[in-house]
This record gives sequence, C-alpha cells and structure tokens, in this order.
Amino acid sequence: MYRAGRRPAGTNTNMTSDEALMLEFQLGSRAAFEELFARYREPLQGFFRRRLNDAGRAEDLTQETFLAVIHASSRYEPRALVRTYLYGIALKLLAAERRKRVRNAAQSDSEPAIEGATDVVLWVQQALGKLDPSEREIVMLREYEQLSYLDIAELLRIPVNTVRSRLFRARLALKGWLESEKTRDRSVIANGAVNGAAVDRAGHDEA
Amino acid sequence: MSTDNHRFEQEELMAYLDGELPTDRATAAVAHLERCAECQTLAADLRSVSQHLMTWEVESAESPMGTQIIEALEQGERKPTKTATANAASQRVGFMARRWVWVGTFAVVCLTIGVGLRRIWNNENQNLQRATGLAAPRAAADSNGIFHGLGSAGKSFSVDGQPIADQQSRLFGPGAPPPAGPINGRQFDKLQQFAKLQNAPPVRFPDSASGPMIIRTAALTLTTKDFDKARASLDDVLRRHRGYIGDLNVSTPVGSGRSFTATLRIPADQLDVALADLRKLGRAESESQGGQDVTAQYVDLQARLSNARNAEVRLTDILQHRTGTLGDVLAVENEISRVRGEIERMEAERKTLSNQVDFATINATVSEDYQAQLQVVPTSTFGRIHNAAVDGYRSMVEGVVGTILFLFSIGPSLLLWCAILFFPARAVWRKVRRAP
Repeated sequence: MYRAGRRPAGTNTNMTSDEALMLEFQLGSRAAFEELFARYREPLQGFFRRRLNDAGRAEDLTQETFLAVIHASSRYEPRALVRTYLYGIALKLLAAERRKRVRNAAQSDSEPAIEGATDVVLWVQQALGKLDPSEREIVMLREYEQLSYLDIAELLRIPVNTVRSRLFRARLALKGWLESEKTRDRSVIANGAVNGAAVDRAGHDEA
Repeated sequence: MSTDNHRFEQEELMAYLDGELPTDRATAAVAHLERCAECQTLAADLRSVSQHLMTWEVESAESPMGTQIIEALEQGERKPTKTATANAASQRVGFMARRWVWVGTFAVVCLTIGVGLRRIWNNENQNLQRATGLAAPRAAADSNGIFHGLGSAGKSFSVDGQPIADQQSRLFGPGAPPPAGPINGRQFDKLQQFAKLQNAPPVRFPDSASGPMIIRTAALTLTTKDFDKARASLDDVLRRHRGYIGDLNVSTPVGSGRSFTATLRIPADQLDVALADLRKLGRAESESQGGQDVTAQYVDLQARLSNARNAEVRLTDILQHRTGTLGDVLAVENEISRVRGEIERMEAERKTLSNQVDFATINATVSEDYQAQLQVVPTSTFGRIHNAAVDGYRSMVEGVVGTILFLFSIGPSLLLWCAILFFPARAVWRKVRRAP
C-alpha cells in the first residue's frame, strides 16, 4: 500500500517478463525456470511463513509450489500473470496443509508467531488473527504479496468490489485496534510515570 | 466522516492510496484530499495501519533448489514433452486459432455426415433398382400433395405388359396389398424413387463431388488519409479481381471525416488476393474472416432437385401415355404443377447457394483520417457589414410581413369583438364620466 512506484519481484520490466520465462520453460529451458525460482523463492517463502508457524514447513511448501509448477508447466496458459499463477498454487497447497493440520490437530496456525518478534510485530500478528479469515487473507495478499485488487479477486474467485470492501473493512478494524493499543500504551506509560514520582517522593521523605 | 459531504467514498480513497484508481479519478482524489481534513485523517490512519503491518518481516533463508525439483527438471530435460512444445505453440497462436480448429472440426463432421447420407441414399437406390426393374405404378395426388394408389380405385392398369398390381407388390413388398387410400411419407418417397428409376438418367452431383463448398465472408475496417484515392482504388481492385459492389453507402458529414461502407462480391478464389489489395488502401483497423460449409446442404438440395425432375418426367409420361378417369388425370396434373413449383424453388435455392460459394462477400468500411482545417483568413470587414445589412433588411421585411400576416389572421376576429364590445364599453364609459 502507498508504494505506487514499487513493484514486487518478478515484474521488473528491464528483465525478461515472467510470462516469457514460463513459455521458455515450457519449451525446455532450465535457465528460465531457475530465473523464476530466483525471483519467487523469497516471496513465496514469506507467504508461507506468515501463514504457518513453521519455518521448515514453509520452506517445504515453497519447494512443493515450484515442483507443482514443473509438473503443470505443460498446462500453463498465459492468461494470467505468472505471479498470480504461483500464488494460486501456493494458496491451494496452504489450504491442503491447513486441512492436514486440522485432521492431525497437532498444531494450530491461527496465530502464527515468529520467534524473536518485537512487540509491534506481535501486535500485528494478534490483530491479523482477530480478523475474519476471508478479510485476513485479502489484507495479507495486498500488504505482503502486493497483489492488485484484480489479482486477489481472481485468486479468491470473488468480485473485485468485494475485495475492495473487505479490505477496507479489515483496515478500519486494524486501525481501531491500533488506536486502542496506543491508548493502552499511553495509560501504561502514564501509570509508570505516576508510580515513579510516588517512589521519588517516598525516597525524599525517607531522606 | 459522512459520505454525503464528500465526492469520494472512503473505499475509493483507499483504492487511490493503493494505486488502484484510474488516472482521472486519481487526479480528482488528489484534489479532494488536499482540501478535505477528514479524508487526510483517514489517509493518515490507513497509512499508519499499512506501516504497522509492514513491520512484520520474515527472514529469508537462502535455500537452494530442492532435490525433487532438480530431479523433476532433469527428467524434463531427458524427455522434452512434445505436448509442452505443442501447447506453447498453440498458446502463441492464441484463442482465435483454437476456435478455428473447432469450426474446422465441426465442418469435417458435417462433411462426413453429408457423405455418409449420400452413400446411404445411393445404396437405397441400388437396392430399389435391384428389387424392381419394372414400370412405374400409376399414382396420383390430391390437392394436398398426398398420393393415392391408383390401384385402389378398382381399375386395372398395365405398364409395359405387366399388371400394375404386380409392380406395386414388388415395390411395397411381396404379397403386400397396394396402399389403400392416401399414402405419404416413405411410400411417397418410394414412388418418387420408382418413377426416377424408370426414365431418368442417373443422379449426378457435379459440383459437390469436386470438394467442400464453403461460403466465405470477410470484414475489413480501414482508415485512410486519401479518401478519394481509396474510393477510386476500390473500383480498380474490383475490376482486377472480376468482382462487383453489392451495396455501397458513402457518408460525407460536415466537420468530420468521410467514410463509406461497401459490400463487395469477389470470386472466392480471388478473396485472399483481393483482401491483400484492399489492405493497401489504408491502415487496417480490424479484419475478420469466416467460412460456412454448405456441402451437405448442397448435396441434399441436388438430390432433392434430381428426384423432383425425375418425378416430373415420369408424371408427364403417365399423363401422355396412360388412360384413366378424369379425376385421375386432374390429380396427375395437380401433382405435376406442384412438382414443377418445387423444382423452381429448389433451382433458385441452388443458384443462390452456388453464387454464395462462388463469390465471397467482403464487408469493407473505409473511414477518412480526418484533420480539421483551420480557417486562417477571416471574413473582411466590408463583407461583414454587407452581411449585417442584408440580415437587417431581411429581418425588417420579415417583421413587417409577419405583422401584416398577424393582422390578417386575427383581424376579422378582432373587428368582430370590437363591434360587439363597443356599445357596452361606451355605456360604461359614460356612466363613469357622469359619476360625481
């Protein structure tokens, strides 16, 4: 959001386009695939890591995404952007992973947490966790994956206007929680200051 | 923030901040944002939310390509799939090409069905010929075109020395009684086939046997800088390719470019060359081509036409050489009249179809690349004064004439009302004057 000039990896116009690389890969160019891998490994890893509380599994799923691309390369048609195509595969793998986890009931990724996260990051994770799942996915696809409204609509198979309204609703909810968090912080700081002054006064009295 | 006082909805403002608004709306949003404090606050809040979300960064592990991926790639290199190559090629050709493949497949299926039907038809003819080998049964038709077996009328006819009853029994099956009352459907077809086999030459399909019959059409939209030259060149193209204009509409509106729309008929074998020549008339804005396979339709029409002709010959023969009651003769004449009408209709249909196949249709639209002309030399002062004087004189004359016409139109009514109201008005006036 608010980075009009910024384009996500894989859309640099100075380089060969993702779609051209994909077509070259269809014709058997391994170099083209390696280039696609280099462009999208990190974004896809981030995609999975933000949604799963397991860095290792995120890495595995990233590899599986590219594996799926190899297997399905003959069926690829350049109707949509490669970026959207990849995130579509990633979303399906993620859904499968979540179903598996529900069945196993071993782990829960409802509130993914990253080790060593700062307070702000924890707040972000908690706030995102409070959102409705459909709204959360839209916010994350927009903010972290930098997908356009149209791409998100295609991926989630919902109308663009729905994407926009859900995104707006989610952002307003996040804003509300952010403000309440700020208010809470201020009150904590204020309480700390009052307590400190009392301690100081007590010290002076004792002296 | 209420949306009533804002030209922009909040969602639209968010879309602007996300770079998702079209340019014109984005420009308007910038202007609105500069002077609306509430929207500025909302924008700041949304930015703040986004900034907070972006604090969640994940570390990227420099993981190499997995072994499974490498193996899959190596497998792919060892046996490059033809499917992938074909798919890539077909994708380059695009959606339109795939659609044409479907159209082509459909045409082939139609052709196959047409050829199959023809073979079935020929087989039936051969079987019938083997089963018969005798003269035609006497048959007549009522005014509705339904045949009646003449044998059922209680009379015995003979053709070529054989009783008609025998012929009918052979035609409708051994031991089968002759059809009593009206006959139609398959029996009618059999009678017609029978008549055909007696005197008519074998059925020929001269045109359809040579190959598929395709009605080709094309549409071309061009923009040209030299309209007059394009118009003249169009005639040259038609002359060169032995074509003609089916329809032509030229439009020359004031203040915009000229254009013409023409329906051109070009010999089918000249279509591609003619299109290439037409493209030279200007810049091609759009072009499309189409084809309709009418082979099956043509074959069917030819067969029906041939049958009808044979039936006509046989009926004429029956009328000339056989005897019967007056009712039978009239019935045969009615049938001949009906068959001739059908022949004429089918002949016209066949000619139309042939013409459509022989001559492809091109719908060409040529528009002028119009450039507005600037009037550099203004009208002279003298000319303007002269025009003003003429206008003044004209308006004066029109005013006078208008007034006269007005008086003439309402004058009689006015005089009448004056005459009616004069005395009462004068009486009232006098009363008013006398009053103290």
